[in-house]
Amino acid sequence: MRVRSWTGSAALVLLALLAVAGCAERHDPGGPITLVFKHAKIFGPADPIPRLLREFEAKHPGVTVRSEELTWTSDEQHQFYVINLEGATPTFDVLMLDVIWVPEFAQAGWLLDLAPWVTREELAPHFPAAVAVATWGGRVWGVPWNMNVGVLYYRSDLLAKYGLAPPRTWEALVEQAELIRGRERDPKLDGVLWQGKQYEGLVCNVVEQLWGSGTALFGDDGRVLPDLDRAAAALTFMRGLIDRGVSPGWVTAGDEELTRRAFGDGRAVFLRSWPYAMDLFELPDSPVRGRVGIAAVPGHAGGAPGVGTTGGFHLAVNRRTRHAEAAVELVRFLGSERGQRALTAADVALYPTRTALYQDPEAVRAHPNMPRFHDLALVARPRPVTPYYLMISTTVQPEFSAALVRVKTPRVALEHARRRLEHLLAVR
Amino acid sequence: MTGRQRADRRAGVAFVAPAVIVLAGLSLYPGLWVVWLSLQQRIPIFGIARFIGVDHYAFLASDPRMWNATRVTLVFTVASVALELVLGLAAALALQRQRLGRRLATSLLLLAWALPSVVTAKLFEWLYHPSAGLVNVLLGGRTLNWLGDPGLALAGLIAADVWRTMPFVALLCYARLLTIPGDVYEAARVDGAGWTATLTSITLPLLRPVLLIALLFRTLDALRAFDLMFVLTGGGPAGTTETLTVYAYRSLFQTLQLGFGSAIGVVIFTLVMLVAAAYLGVLRRAGATA
Repeated sequence: MRVRSWTGSAALVLLALLAVAGCAERHDPGGPITLVFKHAKIFGPADPIPRLLREFEAKHPGVTVRSEELTWTSDEQHQFYVINLEGATPTFDVLMLDVIWVPEFAQAGWLLDLAPWVTREELAPHFPAAVAVATWGGRVWGVPWNMNVGVLYYRSDLLAKYGLAPPRTWEALVEQAELIRGRERDPKLDGVLWQGKQYEGLVCNVVEQLWGSGTALFGDDGRVLPDLDRAAAALTFMRGLIDRGVSPGWVTAGDEELTRRAFGDGRAVFLRSWPYAMDLFELPDSPVRGRVGIAAVPGHAGGAPGVGTTGGFHLAVNRRTRHAEAAVELVRFLGSERGQRALTAADVALYPTRTALYQDPEAVRAHPNMPRFHDLALVARPRPVTPYYLMISTTVQPEFSAALVRVKTPRVALEHARRRLEHLLAVR
Repeated sequence: MTGRQRADRRAGVAFVAPAVIVLAGLSLYPGLWVVWLSLQQRIPIFGIARFIGVDHYAFLASDPRMWNATRVTLVFTVASVALELVLGLAAALALQRQRLGRRLATSLLLLAWALPSVVTAKLFEWLYHPSAGLVNVLLGGRTLNWLGDPGLALAGLIAADVWRTMPFVALLCYARLLTIPGDVYEAARVDGAGWTATLTSITLPLLRPVLLIALLFRTLDALRAFDLMFVLTGGGPAGTTETLTVYAYRSLFQTLQLGFGSAIGVVIFTLVMLVAAAYLGVLRRAGATA
């Protein structure tokens, strides 16, 4: 195997030299190719990407992949892509992008339509919420790579102590939190933690509350905040969590890590977060190890059952690439069962988008909660799938925050959000 | 005008020309381009580009978010610059009278200023942590919600900015203090001037030009404040820490509305130019009387 690939590459180098001698500028389809893969930094103890890329190179003699990491904040990644893709410079071939950017980049004409290579059938093994984003507008813009879904964590030891089952509605959650806090008499134990800082995470939390109340941020007909009454009730409920003391006041500045740490230190009964947190709760030195359960994000009594928002990254191809065939091959390889299996290693805190892997014995041994996450991700929904998503999100963030910190009433905040969005989206 | 004078004038123009050309190329041209952009509805990635005149400005004039950002920017600027000047001056005077470890003290001062602002922001994120943060512990174990309370977040950011840039003012003042000859103070003491009289009649008047320059630099910087709020609060809660530059950034780079974002940029530019012109007027008068 090793020898064969060595002779193979030697032959290709020779071919390449001939090709270069023949025509310096043109890229011969058989010549050696260097693909550049831009992606976010992978957190956690192990990064599966380098191993996968070496494997891809071994399978495709003549193709080398250079992997280039981007800075870790989502805003900066977005800015990098916008500047470089708008500048139309083919400095990278394959890119990893947040699901909320896929329709935007597609509409801008920056992504290669993968439909000639990747059929919809090929995407069927992925979670429907991920496929809905990848196939926006009836084309195929990317292959889903990793999955995120909003879930509710609960302290299984505390709930068992008082004979409680995980709450299905927020109203039941409040009751349980108040009961447990009342009996435990621990001033350091909070009820429920969630992300209330003015940023994208807040939008995820509010969107889940809207769905649980039977409405949405973005109606099916494209209208913004179609049901103001229900939306105002949802925001009022969130603010009530703080007023009643079920959530501490600081959730209005809380992001994923701040809330994850507090719950991980055993300082709350419930936490709304993402699957990565479970890997950290189960670390050997974690104070809550073995005492955390996972449930669906609650719905509302008289509303709708709870549904989590989805997130994650997709793999796409730069439309300006000079090596479309090889780039598509790389995307398909990373998104394949083989490629996504690498995400299920014990030391990786990423979750695949292929549903079958969640039943895989080896994966489940490394992450015993995968079957649970599978059931939740299967029914989860993406945030509004529209090229204007970022415009919508950055407009509603300060308004949602204003309602939470009592600067505006929920009704006024939502009316302001709607008026601004209608003005901004008038460009469509 | 004699031939000699004309030749001098030509030489003068030739000498000034490179600077004028570079400035025009690097400042004037992009500046005018931004003004032109601000008169358009332009979202290039979606192929939207049409001239709309002053529509963006009309929207901004009645945009509560714009007025809020303006108010936040002004409050931040006035409060942080005033505190920085007073504390910086006090630090410089303390340094001047300090005998031991002066070099160590100046190094420590510089440390705060030398830290990249994103690092400063992360540092304060931990200091302001609601339950584990040092600030709340020092306040007797209170659980003030520094970055999540609309009444506290801006004050928290101002404190962080003062901590970071006070050393700049302190070092400027300290450098000037070193150049005041000792015999001036000697003479004052012989005349029986106390500490207060020395400060108000000798030190402060001699520091005045330096203080004015520090004021100019700090004001212009504070009007364009961006990094601290962007990292610490993202402009929240409820937009209470969203400065004009954060608003412009969100419009330009996050939501790619080049026209709308440029209009905000033009407003910031105008504001900064007005303040700079006012200061330069004061400086010129100060120079004439000095």
